[in-house]
Amino acid sequence: MPRSLKKGPYIDEKLYRKVEKLTQMDRREPIKTWARACTIVPEFVGHTFLVHNGKIFNNVFVTEDMVGHKLGEFSHTRTFRGHTTGTRAQRAKGSI
Amino acid sequence: MPRISGVDIPDNKPIRISLRYLYGVGPANAQLILKEAKIDGQVRANKLTEDQLAQLATIIDSNYVVEGTLRRSVAQNIARLRDVRSYRGERHRRGLPVRGQRTKTNARTRKGKRKTVAGKKGVKAMK
Repeated sequence: MPRSLKKGPYIDEKLYRKVEKLTQMDRREPIKTWARACTIVPEFVGHTFLVHNGKIFNNVFVTEDMVGHKLGEFSHTRTFRGHTTGTRAQRAKGSI
Repeated sequence: MPRISGVDIPDNKPIRISLRYLYGVGPANAQLILKEAKIDGQVRANKLTEDQLAQLATIIDSNYVVEGTLRRSVAQNIARLRDVRSYRGERHRRGLPVRGQRTKTNARTRKGKRKTVAGKKGVKAMK
């Protein structure tokens, strides 16, 4: 179920203030954050965030297309890269 | 067979059913379109006059996104998700369910036909 419109989008206050401060100073260094649930607002565009995924901080450069998504959507939390192909014998030989 | 928005719609079905052969027109939209055109939905498509058909065509063309345009916009939305490298885009790229469904079992619509893995538990028992 989507969030009630009455409340507006969820924005992490602290993060927002930090972004504004940086914009004012016209600086663009990466902002380390754990606020994965924070919605990306137009003011964030052009900034880089280091979004925690539970283990490391992933680099997320915010573009215009990302507005309306959450920061966490761009910092993946799982590492599955797919299954190996071929049979066990082929893998042992090192041909794959 | 009458044509609306570049698609043939079946003659011998009630018009409210026929309209649904257009991509982007389902039961609800069909009713709304007919209400706007003031046409009885039970009338067969081949019993409609030229005027009525033209009227339907204009209503659909001006107020509804159907067929190619709709298909393109859906594809663009998905392409956008992929381009920004969001979680949803990644799921689309991998051909896995996008909305958080389980994948340990089921999810066959997205994953396609089962790919049996040799040596996995239960494979011997199947023989």
